Amino acid sequence: MAVVEINNVFKTYHDTEVEVKAINGVTLSFEKGDFAVIVGPSGSGKTTLLNLIGGLDQPTGGEILIAGHRLSELRPSELIDFRMDHVGFVFQSYNLIPVLTAAENVGFIMNLQKWPKEKQITRTNELLSSVGLSDRHNSRPSQLSGGQQQRIAVARALATHPEFILADEPTANLDSKSAESLLEIMEKLNQEEGMTFIFSTHDIRVMKRAHRVITLEDGKIVSDETTKK
Amino acid sequence: MITSLAWKNVWRNKIRSLIVITAVTIGVFAGVFSLAAINSTVIQRIDAAVNEELSHIQVNNKNFRSSSDIQNIISDYPGVVAALKSTPWVTKVTGRIIIRGIASTAAKSVGVEITGVDVEKEKEIFTLSEKLIPGTGSYFETDTKFNTVFIGEKLAKELNIIRYIITPEAVVKLKDQGVPANIISKIETLQGQRFTSEKKFIKAYEKLLDAREIQKYEWKIREAAWSYREGSRIILSFLDVNNDQTGAAFRVSGIFRTNNDMFESLSLFVPIEELRQLTGMKEGTYHRVIAKLENNDLTNKVTPVIREKLKDVEVLNWKEIQPDLAMMADFMGQIYAIFMVIILAALAFGIVNTMLMAVLERTRELGMLMAIGMNRRKIFIMIMLESIFLSIVGGFAGMAVSELMIAITGKTGINLMKYSEGMEAIGYSAHLYPTIDAQFFITTTILIVLTGIISAVYPAHKALKLNPVEAIRGE
Repeated sequence: MAVVEINNVFKTYHDTEVEVKAINGVTLSFEKGDFAVIVGPSGSGKTTLLNLIGGLDQPTGGEILIAGHRLSELRPSELIDFRMDHVGFVFQSYNLIPVLTAAENVGFIMNLQKWPKEKQITRTNELLSSVGLSDRHNSRPSQLSGGQQQRIAVARALATHPEFILADEPTANLDSKSAESLLEIMEKLNQEEGMTFIFSTHDIRVMKRAHRVITLEDGKIVSDETTKK
Repeated sequence: MITSLAWKNVWRNKIRSLIVITAVTIGVFAGVFSLAAINSTVIQRIDAAVNEELSHIQVNNKNFRSSSDIQNIISDYPGVVAALKSTPWVTKVTGRIIIRGIASTAAKSVGVEITGVDVEKEKEIFTLSEKLIPGTGSYFETDTKFNTVFIGEKLAKELNIIRYIITPEAVVKLKDQGVPANIISKIETLQGQRFTSEKKFIKAYEKLLDAREIQKYEWKIREAAWSYREGSRIILSFLDVNNDQTGAAFRVSGIFRTNNDMFESLSLFVPIEELRQLTGMKEGTYHRVIAKLENNDLTNKVTPVIREKLKDVEVLNWKEIQPDLAMMADFMGQIYAIFMVIILAALAFGIVNTMLMAVLERTRELGMLMAIGMNRRKIFIMIMLESIFLSIVGGFAGMAVSELMIAITGKTGINLMKYSEGMEAIGYSAHLYPTIDAQFFITTTILIVLTGIISAVYPAHKALKLNPVEAIRGE
């Protein structure tokens, strides 16, 4: 069953007098349990496509359906709730809340969704354990390494059981050891929990682990290869 | 959670937040404390005027104020007293005889207002008896066959009753007060001389000391050299009921000191029986009836009630007798408002500036929060709360420091002796006891919180305008 369906989507930016077609007629779908990467040179439209899938941006043409929701029909306030309920985000520069502890960062979206306290604690402990950071419960982001921060970001993204996780260059700021460790965790979550991951990346290590590699150039898909399942 | 996140965000940049909070604290303290100091001058002046000079209500013969003829008495004194006593909130009533005359000593003559008072009743209404300078006698408590008079320090100086002498005791007093030995040795050269006026004494020590020494020690020197011989006499001359010149010698019963030079130099008090005997005024005749109310705030309420009862006489309250005081009391409200606007405007600009910086600094983070599902209402509330916390912490710290300083200086006083001559010439004390009422603190607290809320609107609105995609990119 398709978690994400992208039908002939366009995204055009009007930068002063120049028209930039960041996404140019992309049709694509992602199934539950996909571990897919979107690759392509800089400016090919990877991040724009990810933003469109995540409901952070609206296409100028075509439609995107996620878990049966047509994103173009949602009002801005509904889009925010939609993101909270259906999408997990992992950003290149971690983007944790610096004044909160690791556990508070993981529990942040659960808190926004008003989960019962007990349930929040249980889920937070479970996630910290699955990303191998049970012992850093009360550490602030500034007390963690880049790799550890990104693992907390993954745990935060997974917390409320979203439909899929969008990870924009998640390993770009990590050393190779931390990147491998993070990818192992993500792969494990994909295999054991069936979590769908959609990456945008330049990183060969991510591509090697991916089950599907989609190549974008000038806003168009030039290849879509399934490497393993 | 939003509240706790907002609170944590306030302390994210501790130095910046502390600087803003300190600025707010100093601003609030400076405003509130200055206001308390100004307020104290007005309150002290009003208290002094009401409790030492005027009381709340005065009833006179209708012609008395325009012509202080001894014949302008209150025709129905018992009726006036009964009407006043039956009026709610009137607590005490007494009558006075008031005549104009001349006070003389061998050295000088001065025009004065001689007030004949019922000593016991006056003590219940006025606090003048408590203003007696220690060592100058008493408030008519000396058992003597002579006529007695209670006079102000200023008048005593003008009549040369008070003199300035550097005695060995004065030197010891100066040492005790910490005056340096070199100053004392200069002043000691004046030993043995009697200065019959303050002016002569000032001239003498000004030749011995430099300007800085004078500025620092002159009050201590004057105080130490201040000398008064108990039982000094003055002659009072005035017209009797037949308009014949009369008068008598009066022994000074005591000397009072207030903060009003004008009052001190013009008013003197004698027991009413002595004045009645000398003027030939009949028993039961009075020029003025004084009424004291439960408190100052009742003045406007009670005056028309009394006026309605006493249509044949002139009824005046303290605000009408001294309109400058009434104006000052009313003006205080406007001064409060002006100060509050200044304090709150400074607070608002500080908060807006800090919060705008905080929003701009956290653009990426705010974008991330929007991306992961924190809606705009929650972001708005979070920024508002951060501003409110900053205002409240700074505002309350300012209020606490103000309250503490007002409590301390309210007891110890602020000494402005350097300006005492100028201030006392217009009736104000050179010793301020800052005070402010509780209502002001409550109003200020509410206004600080409101200012925090209003100041937060613009930065919070700015945060709402962020586009999550651009914000995450850090644009």
